[in-house]
Amino acid sequence: MPIKLTRLLGILSLVLISGCYPNGAEFIDDLDLVYTNYSNTFDFSSKQTYAIPDSVIKITGDIFSDPDGDHKPSFLSAGSAQVILDQINKNMTDYGWTRVNKFANPDVILLVSSVTTTNIYWYYDWWYWGWYYPGFYPGWGWYYPGYYPPYVTGYRSGSVLVQMVDAKATAAGVESVPVIWSCILNGLAEGGTSSIAPRVQKGIDNAFVQSPYLKH
Amino acid sequence: MKKIFFLLIASVCIHTAFGQHHGVFIISYPIGFPMGDLNDYIDKPSFRGINLEWGKEVSPNVIAEIETGWNVFYQEQPTQVYTEGTASISGKQFRYTNSVPIIAGAKWVLKSSNNLVPYAGVGLGTMYSDRSTDFGLYRISTDAWQFCIRPELGITFKSRNGPSAMLGVKYYSSFNSSDLDGQSFLTINIGVVFPYGL
Repeated sequence: MPIKLTRLLGILSLVLISGCYPNGAEFIDDLDLVYTNYSNTFDFSSKQTYAIPDSVIKITGDIFSDPDGDHKPSFLSAGSAQVILDQINKNMTDYGWTRVNKFANPDVILLVSSVTTTNIYWYYDWWYWGWYYPGFYPGWGWYYPGYYPPYVTGYRSGSVLVQMVDAKATAAGVESVPVIWSCILNGLAEGGTSSIAPRVQKGIDNAFVQSPYLKH
Repeated sequence: MKKIFFLLIASVCIHTAFGQHHGVFIISYPIGFPMGDLNDYIDKPSFRGINLEWGKEVSPNVIAEIETGWNVFYQEQPTQVYTEGTASISGKQFRYTNSVPIIAGAKWVLKSSNNLVPYAGVGLGTMYSDRSTDFGLYRISTDAWQFCIRPELGITFKSRNGPSAMLGVKYYSSFNSSDLDGQSFLTINIGVVFPYGL
């Protein structure tokens, strides 16, 4: 009889312990990540001005496709873009930067894109920016001076990529665009703009907090 | 997870094999306290676990035994910035360590006339550790089988017939492997001792 009891207890134990596994993340914002990286050879403190477009592009693949023939990519909705750009501008201003027109010889240019695929395109087609970038040269690609962004796959999420480009280092004949600061906000792209907006705003704030070298 | 269930099912089979001899089966609830490298990773105690032991009396004071179990350590790290070189990443982390010891050992039982029976034991074997960190939508996992030593002390509250209660302390210390530093933790076990084959 005791043997049967112990067998029963053994089986019961299996059932019990399968029910006590910890839960982990409970809320969507538990899964939000903010990644930043920068070139430590670039002197941010000597730069004062930046330009930024009024739109956030959607990156849909490695290669820029232009089915409309208007030389423009797809854009994030104006409302969503406004939330992102306003927050970036607020943080840049707080850090002592001045926004100028893209033709007013800015020190840096911020390019903001969104990604909803399963990959981050760190080296996406430079043609995406042909519609905006002053002195655009079609032969350019990207490089990240002195550091290498990670190759990460498996994103089941929405991401916002912010690239800060050294505008003074781009000219016709240059092969690559130096991205001196980059930032990715990554998380689940669930819910509408009203629920995503506060997460994106918080993420942008965190990106600047963890990038104190941008502050003047 | 599957591995763990296989191990526990295998343990039940071992118990059946031992069933023909005089011995004991002990089922206990361990409360685990992480130490060393495990404590650096998760410093909260574990209230999730189970421990199973099958022992055979080889002399009046010595029980040879096989032990296995499962201890789940878990900790939620609030949002903080992790920096390496020029890269910084911030977010919440959910840290898990599952430890499954498989130990062969012996208990020395101090027979006494009253109902309190103290014992001391030592065991050697292996410990399977599975460490996972959930960070954003990603999971970073490492697992390792490590050589493990496990001393223990305890006391059994003997009843006249049938099962007895037990209270014990076990210390598990595994050794470094290429994938993971040695993991160690201490458990306080409260359980029931079932005699069989008597």
